[in-house]
Amino acid sequence: MQLLDDKIDRMLSLPPYGQAPDATESGLLELLKEELEFACARHAGYKRYVDHWPVNYRTAAQMSDLPYLPVAMLKASPPLSFVPPEEVRRTLTSSATTSQLPSRIVLDAPTSRRMTKGTVVIARDFIGSSRRPYLVVDAPDHKAGRDSIGARRAAIQGLQPFATETTYCLRSDDNGDLALDLEKLTKFANRNRDAEILVYGFTYILWNHLVKPLRAENACLDLKNVRVLHSGGWKRLQDQAVEKQLFNEQLARVVGCDSSCIVDFYGMVESVGVIFPDCQHGNKHAPAFGHVIVRDPLTLEPVAEGDHGIVQVCSVLPTSFPGNLLLTEDIAQVIAYDGCACGRRGVSFRFAGRVPKAEVRGCGNIEIKRSAVN
Amino acid sequence: MVQFQQDVESPRQISDVAARLRQAVLDREVTPDEVLTIFDAWGKKLDARQLDEIPGIVFLRMWLRRGTLEPIIARELGPNSLHGGWNDYGLATCKAFPLGVIGHWPAANVEIQPILSMTCALLGGNAALVRIPHGLNELTRVLVQRLVEGDPDEILMRRIFLAAFDHGRRDLHEAMAQAVDGAMIWGGRASVLQVRSLPFPHWARLAVFGPRISVAAMDAGAWTDPAEREPWCRRLARDLWQFDQQACSSPQVLFLEKDSSHSTAELAPLLQRAFEDENRVHPRTIIPPGLTTAIAQARASWLLKDPAHTAVFPSNPDWTLLFGSGPEIPQPTQGKTLAVLEVDNLLDPIARLDGNVQTLGLGVSDPEKERVLAELAGRRGIDRIVKLGRMHAFVPPWDGLDLIRPMVRMVRHVSSVNEYDNESASKRLEGCYGIS
Repeated sequence: MQLLDDKIDRMLSLPPYGQAPDATESGLLELLKEELEFACARHAGYKRYVDHWPVNYRTAAQMSDLPYLPVAMLKASPPLSFVPPEEVRRTLTSSATTSQLPSRIVLDAPTSRRMTKGTVVIARDFIGSSRRPYLVVDAPDHKAGRDSIGARRAAIQGLQPFATETTYCLRSDDNGDLALDLEKLTKFANRNRDAEILVYGFTYILWNHLVKPLRAENACLDLKNVRVLHSGGWKRLQDQAVEKQLFNEQLARVVGCDSSCIVDFYGMVESVGVIFPDCQHGNKHAPAFGHVIVRDPLTLEPVAEGDHGIVQVCSVLPTSFPGNLLLTEDIAQVIAYDGCACGRRGVSFRFAGRVPKAEVRGCGNIEIKRSAVN
Repeated sequence: MVQFQQDVESPRQISDVAARLRQAVLDREVTPDEVLTIFDAWGKKLDARQLDEIPGIVFLRMWLRRGTLEPIIARELGPNSLHGGWNDYGLATCKAFPLGVIGHWPAANVEIQPILSMTCALLGGNAALVRIPHGLNELTRVLVQRLVEGDPDEILMRRIFLAAFDHGRRDLHEAMAQAVDGAMIWGGRASVLQVRSLPFPHWARLAVFGPRISVAAMDAGAWTDPAEREPWCRRLARDLWQFDQQACSSPQVLFLEKDSSHSTAELAPLLQRAFEDENRVHPRTIIPPGLTTAIAQARASWLLKDPAHTAVFPSNPDWTLLFGSGPEIPQPTQGKTLAVLEVDNLLDPIARLDGNVQTLGLGVSDPEKERVLAELAGRRGIDRIVKLGRMHAFVPPWDGLDLIRPMVRMVRHVSSVNEYDNESASKRLEGCYGIS
């Protein structure tokens, strides 16, 4: 285990976006094979799945041949785990609607440490390494236990290493409804007007509880030296017809910054530690310790540049749960396999929405299912 | 040429079309024999290489043959119905008359279903107002265009209208429902419930088909027979490949009866070969991404769940075989994902079936065993028990319903002319009802 741990750490210490794609792939491929071996020795069910894979991972020549697990499998109860219960340090849960089960991700100490480091390494490449006042557009979670943590908390905590002080500018009532604490926010803004500041919130929370109330007051925080990071996706803003451009314009207006200071990043609890911020050209990139494969739904082969497909995320970070090779339920377009104008090496891509759920129907009206991706 | 299809935008368009169709039915009686003559010609026009790729086209050609439909008409409407005659019916005579305009809400996942549904109404002398699902618009238009060539006098073309509109246009669905005298509704649960809730006239008759699933079963004698088991696997593969395993009649699971001297694992390579062969001949050209992820999930959850489970599948989502045991039907995935389950006795899974299962496809070597299985399946709610390889053969009754008769009125005529004296009438009544 120590040897594997050292190898992962070495990969984490590489420049996250500096390696040529071939070098990244060969390094990742070998390490992922070792991690599969490690995982199979610890989980009989997972081993059975891997053993039935059409390609033997031990002889696989490319990362796309390795056995990936559909992300929905992480909703299993009890959670899929490669470590004994006494070594589980924390369980992360994904956000889920009432009709869905959340994913449950078990973290041991080494995986937890790597995931924190992974987030920092990536975020540092986008916002710099300095520590600064950290404004969280959310409410402090007094009820959160040490053992279990949700997606929002995980994202907030992931950026904590960049904070000199942390201020939560929302409060929640007994029903969990959020409201802006304008007094607290104003004090924070007045205190840090000239400082470099980090702001983070879930996308829909920023819109509903920061942009809308400040816009109603015609208020502006006048925070020019700021980086606003947000994540969580756009689904909850679709009903309000809020698209990215409008979101950025309005958020920049109430914060008082340029819209280029706003960074949307994609991250999932199931692959925490590997986040995908937008570069200045609107593309997302995979770090040296992870990879993204966009698969053609018809063949499950990687798509050509410009094509859409189902996103698979790869990460060497987890060793406590099967999160190394995950087929997600998201659709993305591969922009290029290398050469993004931002200078980051490797694949660049853009998310294009969720995979529509397939419903089992007998002679059913499946017009929605018929819509092809590309 | 009469206009037979249009992108519909307003409720008024629908009511105008329905009025024209109803007048066509009133203007002229069309006997089943006339319909069959035109269908026969239409079927021949569909025998063209450029149409061969349409899923189900071979079956549609066969369906339209006189030899296929004449017996169905005789059984459902009576032996004299072919030429529009009256049939003796106890003390009376009966004849099938059309309901009028029949609205059709076909499912979008069976390419030829708009046509099949429409033909059922036309055989009863009705007019057909067909709401075409978005994805089938062009294909259905091409198929009906061939009918134009086979119907130079526009006898049927005057009775057909293909209405293309978005499935979200409730106002157009309502206008269509209000304008029809009967409806044939096919689809998933949500679609069926939605259509059934439309404001049909109180006299309108509704025939609802689906949603349901189907299962397959083979006894030990069939799957262990060295000469027969490969053909059985090929038949099963054919049943799976048609309609991408998404029709009501598509098997989702194969139950195999245990045999003391053979392992069911022997069948795995034969099934795999049959699937690979069928896939080579009929590869998928499109797949919804949601189905791809569902297939990937089915493979993973099957293998993670139970140490006794095994599976065979390629790197792509083309097909999947999931092996295990037990009499319960696993959650269906579709997309050519077949669970193969070993059972001690085929009666065990069949005793657990319910009305959600439409068709039981059988490969059985013992006729007495098959009779017992069919009897039990019928009691458990299954409407079709057929040989493997024929699970999609569209022969009525379908879903337990006749296909033509629900959309006709059987008009009963008791003659007022004193043709029989009272004594002979009484004798006939006794003969009919066993009165002593």
